[in-house]
Amino acid sequence: MNDGRRERTGGSGGSGGGTAGDRRSGVARRGFLRGAALAGAGLAAGGAAAPARPPYAGPGPQPALPGTAAAPVPFHGPHQAAILTPPRRVTAFTAFDVTAESRRDLAELLRTLTARARFLTGGGVPEPLGITGPPADSGILGARLPGGALAVTVGVGASLFDDRFGLCARAPRRLTAMPAFPDDDLQPAWCHGDLSLQLCADDTDTVLHALRDLTRHTRGGLQVRWRLDGFASPPRPTGTPRNLFGFKDGTGNPDPGSARAMRDLVWVGTGTGEPDWAVGGSYQAVRLIRMLVEFWDRVSLTEQERMVGRARESGAPLDGDDEFDTPDYPGDPKGDVIPLDSHIRKADPRTPGTAGQRLLRRAYNYDRGTDSNGNLDMGLLFCCYQQDLARQFETVQRRLAGEPLTDYVTPFGGGYFFALPGVRDETDWYGRALLAQ
Amino acid sequence: MPRPGLRRLRSPRVWGPAGAVLVAGAVTAVTLTAGARPAAPAPADGLPHTTVEVSPGDCGRGWDHPRPGLQVFDLRNSSSRGAEVYLRGAHGGPVHGEVEGIGPGTTRSLRVRLGPGAYAFTCLPDDANAVTGPVVRVAGGGPGGPAAAPVTQHDLIGPALDYQTWVAGGLADLVRRTAVLRAAVAAGDLPAARTAWLSAHLGYERLGAAYGAFGDADRTINGTTAGLAGGVHDPAFTGFHRVEYGLWHGEPAAGLRGPATALADAVRALRDGWAQARMDPAALGLRAHEILENTAQAELTGRTDYGSGSNLATARANLDGTRAVLARLRPLLTTRYPGLSDLDGALDRTAHLLDGFRHDGRWPPLGTLRRADRERANAAVGDLVERLASVATLCDPRRTV
Repeated sequence: MNDGRRERTGGSGGSGGGTAGDRRSGVARRGFLRGAALAGAGLAAGGAAAPARPPYAGPGPQPALPGTAAAPVPFHGPHQAAILTPPRRVTAFTAFDVTAESRRDLAELLRTLTARARFLTGGGVPEPLGITGPPADSGILGARLPGGALAVTVGVGASLFDDRFGLCARAPRRLTAMPAFPDDDLQPAWCHGDLSLQLCADDTDTVLHALRDLTRHTRGGLQVRWRLDGFASPPRPTGTPRNLFGFKDGTGNPDPGSARAMRDLVWVGTGTGEPDWAVGGSYQAVRLIRMLVEFWDRVSLTEQERMVGRARESGAPLDGDDEFDTPDYPGDPKGDVIPLDSHIRKADPRTPGTAGQRLLRRAYNYDRGTDSNGNLDMGLLFCCYQQDLARQFETVQRRLAGEPLTDYVTPFGGGYFFALPGVRDETDWYGRALLAQ
Repeated sequence: MPRPGLRRLRSPRVWGPAGAVLVAGAVTAVTLTAGARPAAPAPADGLPHTTVEVSPGDCGRGWDHPRPGLQVFDLRNSSSRGAEVYLRGAHGGPVHGEVEGIGPGTTRSLRVRLGPGAYAFTCLPDDANAVTGPVVRVAGGGPGGPAAAPVTQHDLIGPALDYQTWVAGGLADLVRRTAVLRAAVAAGDLPAARTAWLSAHLGYERLGAAYGAFGDADRTINGTTAGLAGGVHDPAFTGFHRVEYGLWHGEPAAGLRGPATALADAVRALRDGWAQARMDPAALGLRAHEILENTAQAELTGRTDYGSGSNLATARANLDGTRAVLARLRPLLTTRYPGLSDLDGALDRTAHLLDGFRHDGRWPPLGTLRRADRERANAAVGDLVERLASVATLCDPRRTV
């Protein structure tokens, strides 16, 4: 399902429609292949291609290039950079509630958050406090924080726009609380939040260092509501990384390198009825999806593959040979080869009318121990970005309702957030335009 | 993690073993450095480094090229005994940085941001007088990092005595309250006993008995079942929480007479002992910080609730206890802690918030709070402990002679 879920949410979105679809996403594909090729070369050449770090490909359609960490993405810009950059090896997704008591305190909080995120992503030596306080930094990354090792993404939830801060009239037009979908089993403690914070890095210590720093500096104004950590697997053996059902997951994202695709699918732009401050932001849907892996492992391979619509080993659609082959739905109108209720077919019917429903997936696997009866508690920390939750995520989600895969997964939490526009320069801060009078 | 005040004391006895460990480490460090040095590799932190001597004869020697900004001093103790080092404004100015317990032959680093001004190192060898190095002038650059005048042991004696007197008064009151509790239990009047229990327990919590401030007595008087194999039925489970468990779990009065009497006796013994004890002045700053750390860990999590549901009341009492410590430290903090008025504001807001949870004289159990309210309580106390951490570091007693 995961493939499922990913496909579900956007997955198949890759194809712009019809035949041009996957192939044309060629741009995306090319991006992907380049990454894969480099990674492969790195492996073949004993890692020569990777300057500092082992080559690593994230789970997205365009795996991280080797040495991503060596080329820091600028913190400042019209968009939050980590929305488009490939997933890193580890993540911590945390939803907070804002406990700041006034609009002024909220602004102060966001300024602090910005300043810390700027420092943590850019790297440097924390300012010593002498005898006036405990050490300024936890020290777990050593004396100097590396630049470019961390990615930060900040979003706001619908609840931030209640009556506490006088922001009701300024809410992004399409932002609501995440509804419960028919196949969900949501636990309130794992849902929603005033503010979302996603930290991504290639090492767990980098993520935890940032989480400690950011929570320490915002202790009075933010309280953790829920948190789920995730990881991205390396390609096994090649191509798109696999989810915990063993399927390659995320073959058809739109190409983050295509400004046009991002403009049409991901970014909130002018003229969309959104408030001016929201331009450059993006809607973030987060879904915490438990996978019932023991049950899944007791299902025949044929049944698994028919639920997903792809071959487990290669990732190819059931009517193809290669992971990136485009399924031919018109040639299989009754679903003899790729069942009509298979995940990839429901998620993206690949018709011209569904092209605008594509979304950008940024999912991670998660593992959080065992549940009360000893079953393994693992699954998918699904996250996706889009311009319009109703047109994109919710449409796909509705189409997937009742698919066979739902028996093997339990969405238990998550939320809708609006990823804020980027921090433009040294004087800007998260939400400045939102809070401007 | 408990931080017994003693550990912070700078007696040679305490520092001895640590020094020995450092010496062992030093040999390795020197060897490694010697091997790697020829190429003068850039330090891993990327900052300018200056090696400075720490010894009675050469305190501060080596600081020949002063520069402003963020930098590191590698403090090399070339003497035969342990030492600590402060970098201070010249002529007894504020402390910009310190390194404690530099073992003989050891080099330790001090990272600091210096603005324009005059500075000098002070070297404080164990068991010997302080030596101040040459005054060095730094020109140019932006503002320096934060600094503060040192608080000495002597500065803390008055506040500590005053605080000790305040605690003595609280203990005398507590003796009365636990006697009322014992009497109510003896009379079999359990509703009255529950009322008396809360009154007595809050009286104790107001004294700020966090992290072993009262030593073993605290374990007897206010211990939980942590570490007790038999849990709430373990014979070693005593004191307030033992009585609480019985009072709120339908235990007959007869079974509670022993524990209530033992509690009253233990409190009386604490009061009597307190009169003889001399509180370590070094503990005062730690207390200001750690009372509410204990609140965050033990009360706001509900860990210490054995049935009364009074964690919020306890948190409120702990806040009073924190204020009692701060009141004694205030004269030292006004010139040293720029965040003091913000801290006061945060204390007031937290008191107001907690008081707001109380209705008709009753405190709701933690578990009945709305999520938003619980988050507000956690945020308020969390914010306070972040601010109070600075009180502890500023009031850590430092030598000046």
